[in-house]
Amino acid sequence: MAAAAVVRGIGSNLSKNLREVRLHLCQISAASQGTRDFIEQHYVTLKTANPEFPILIRECSGVQPVLWARYGFGKEHSISLDNMNADQVAKALESVVNAKP
Amino acid sequence: MSSSSSSATAGAAAVVSSTPAGPNMVEVFVDGKPVMVEPGTTVLQTCEKVGVQIPRFCYHDRLSVAGNCRMCLVEIEKAPKPVAACAMPVMKGWNILTNSEKTRKAREGVMEFLLSNHPLDCPICDQGGECDLQDQSMMFGADRSRFTEGKRAVEDKNIGPLIKTIMTRCIHCTRCVRFASEVAGVEDLGTTGRGNSMQIGTYVEKMFMSELSGNVIDLCPVGALTSKPYAFTTESIDVLDAVGSNIVVSTRGGEVMRILPRLNEDLLKYENILSPFTHTHAQLCHLKTTDFIQGSEVGAIAGGMVDAEALVALKDLLNRLDSDTLCTEEIFPMAGAGTDLRSNYLLNSRITGIEECDLMLLVGTNPRYEAPLFNARVRKSWLHNELQVAMVGHKVDLSYSYNHLGETTQVLQEIAAGTHPFCKVLAQAKKPVVVVGSSALQREDGAAIFKAVSTIAQNSRASSGVEEGWKVLNVLHRVASQVAALDLGYKRGVDAIRKNPPKVLFLLGADADCITRADLPKDSFIIYQGHHGDVGAVMADVILPGAAYTEKNGTYVNTEGRAQQTRVAVTAPGMAREDWKILRAISELAGVTLPYDTVDEVRRRLEEVSPNLVRYDDVEESNYFKQAHELSKAVNQSLLAAPLVPPQLTVKDFYMTDPISRASQTMAKCVKAATEGAASVDEPSIC
Repeated sequence: MAAAAVVRGIGSNLSKNLREVRLHLCQISAASQGTRDFIEQHYVTLKTANPEFPILIRECSGVQPVLWARYGFGKEHSISLDNMNADQVAKALESVVNAKP
Repeated sequence: MSSSSSSATAGAAAVVSSTPAGPNMVEVFVDGKPVMVEPGTTVLQTCEKVGVQIPRFCYHDRLSVAGNCRMCLVEIEKAPKPVAACAMPVMKGWNILTNSEKTRKAREGVMEFLLSNHPLDCPICDQGGECDLQDQSMMFGADRSRFTEGKRAVEDKNIGPLIKTIMTRCIHCTRCVRFASEVAGVEDLGTTGRGNSMQIGTYVEKMFMSELSGNVIDLCPVGALTSKPYAFTTESIDVLDAVGSNIVVSTRGGEVMRILPRLNEDLLKYENILSPFTHTHAQLCHLKTTDFIQGSEVGAIAGGMVDAEALVALKDLLNRLDSDTLCTEEIFPMAGAGTDLRSNYLLNSRITGIEECDLMLLVGTNPRYEAPLFNARVRKSWLHNELQVAMVGHKVDLSYSYNHLGETTQVLQEIAAGTHPFCKVLAQAKKPVVVVGSSALQREDGAAIFKAVSTIAQNSRASSGVEEGWKVLNVLHRVASQVAALDLGYKRGVDAIRKNPPKVLFLLGADADCITRADLPKDSFIIYQGHHGDVGAVMADVILPGAAYTEKNGTYVNTEGRAQQTRVAVTAPGMAREDWKILRAISELAGVTLPYDTVDEVRRRLEEVSPNLVRYDDVEESNYFKQAHELSKAVNQSLLAAPLVPPQLTVKDFYMTDPISRASQTMAKCVKAATEGAASVDEPSIC
């Protein structure tokens, strides 16, 4: 699966530029299905490789799925994960990991 | 009646009631209006369904039926005598006449009897204006008196420093007796004597020693039981434990005088009003500071009663100074999924789930004093739904019987491994619930305890075959701000500060003495922001006066994950301000101005961090238990041999557990009374 490869690629580098990652998703909507799948399948791998890094998963009914990335000095960046599948979510995560704040 | 024929058919659409016609519904008439009810419904409940309120004193919908006041007597057409509406189940075809001649005469008669021995205390009675007797005598009583005899008087009883008793006013409705026996589980109150010499009391001089004792003040329909510390209003939530009970705060001048319960079915029906108190704010100075440092040199600790707005403002402020050292005083295990997944730190089954479960396992908690309303629900379920409760932890009196499995971590380990005899019971439960107390997780082996509890929860879920939506694992918090802080991404426990002591430490309402000056570098600068500075303020260089929960519009999240709002009941004294506003001002001085100026903008920011924080009064479902469990399995910590003993064991530990109650004179009296007996507390002799 492409997502698994991306997650392997990220490895333990979550904290390279980032300070915190937040995933907002809806528990049941179709638009959040990809995000839900991503968490279901890859969260454990990601967390095991980055045990001290905060990956806040915040489920809330009716919200649009969003990936929030916080860098140093409070700078934040968000990416909408609306209707993305798990692979695309992984790619979005990869992009914020590698982006310089 | 012409309308009766139309509702004789199966469809109940013609009727006021919203329940669809079940197979067994009974048709009854209230003043000629037909209504379908389930068999077993009482006359009083039937009338309420139609919207007719029948007057009553002894009936309370949360207590057992007594039927001793007789105020609810109503006439049934073609019946020889009026019936007590609160106790009589309806029969098919009855026509209940709620305003007929006979009914009215009955009410006037009962009222006359009740008033015959009732003292003429209205002008000096605390209950005046909210007295059931006053209201019902105006509506249903006779307009003239025939009373020329003498009234009886009864001695006042001393049942503790919170409840003022003037037993002459008692009308013997026995609500307090039933409450004490059924809901609180302490069978201290009862009736002695009969007829004219009947008295309600404890018979021997005994304190009504229960964490729920203050509720009888609200229950008593007359001014017999009133609040000793006391007196007027707005609606808020209680943040002295993590249940977030809904309350109405009554104030006079600038002081909080009393706290009343507010009905919220999902949380609880009785609020704990053992916390009427008066604030005594000392004069706090307000200094400005313009030197700020950056990065890991600045850290913050958030205390137990901080609202979410202040928490997010503090986090944003420190993040902008490039610091991530934001900690809560209360520890939660960092290992495994930690606080990434909300399901790891919430009371997932919710308080309503207690009524559906059939087996509850408590680990390392004394819910009676940590979350009394949670305990009252468990007791209710134990009484009515045959809930079995088992406990691993120090043996305490929970007001209901339970299976004490032991207090060592060894027991916990055996249950997790499947070798303990209790596992068989657990495997047979259809809807099991496991509750671990937050005090157990404060220990050094907190992660290992959590791992064991998580294993037990997963195993019992698998063996019970319960459906996907049922949650087994629960954490019972004791601290009101903890869940919001965890939702926002705070680090748990002050280890991060210990490892990297900052030069500037911000204490936001932090009074639990986790970090002292000795832990920090020599010239460190401590800022304390809060409302009742005890330990935290004493060691600070600067003290900024914040507002208490009754003085601000704040968001708190309870142990279930339900966000609720407090509202302003009193204005904050002196120069105290809402906490987030102070932080916003500081951010400007520090050159990192926060991007919000109004509370709505702060709440929009809250939504950006964790959207459930602005979903007021709702609980959002959290999932991913399997993932959390997988990560917790990797935790490599072993359980310590120390037994699981929660910090609050007896009632005297209950009254002073946070800075607000430690500052309260009334709470001090309660502790004294609990330790030395009711007579030891000196009360002024005014009535």
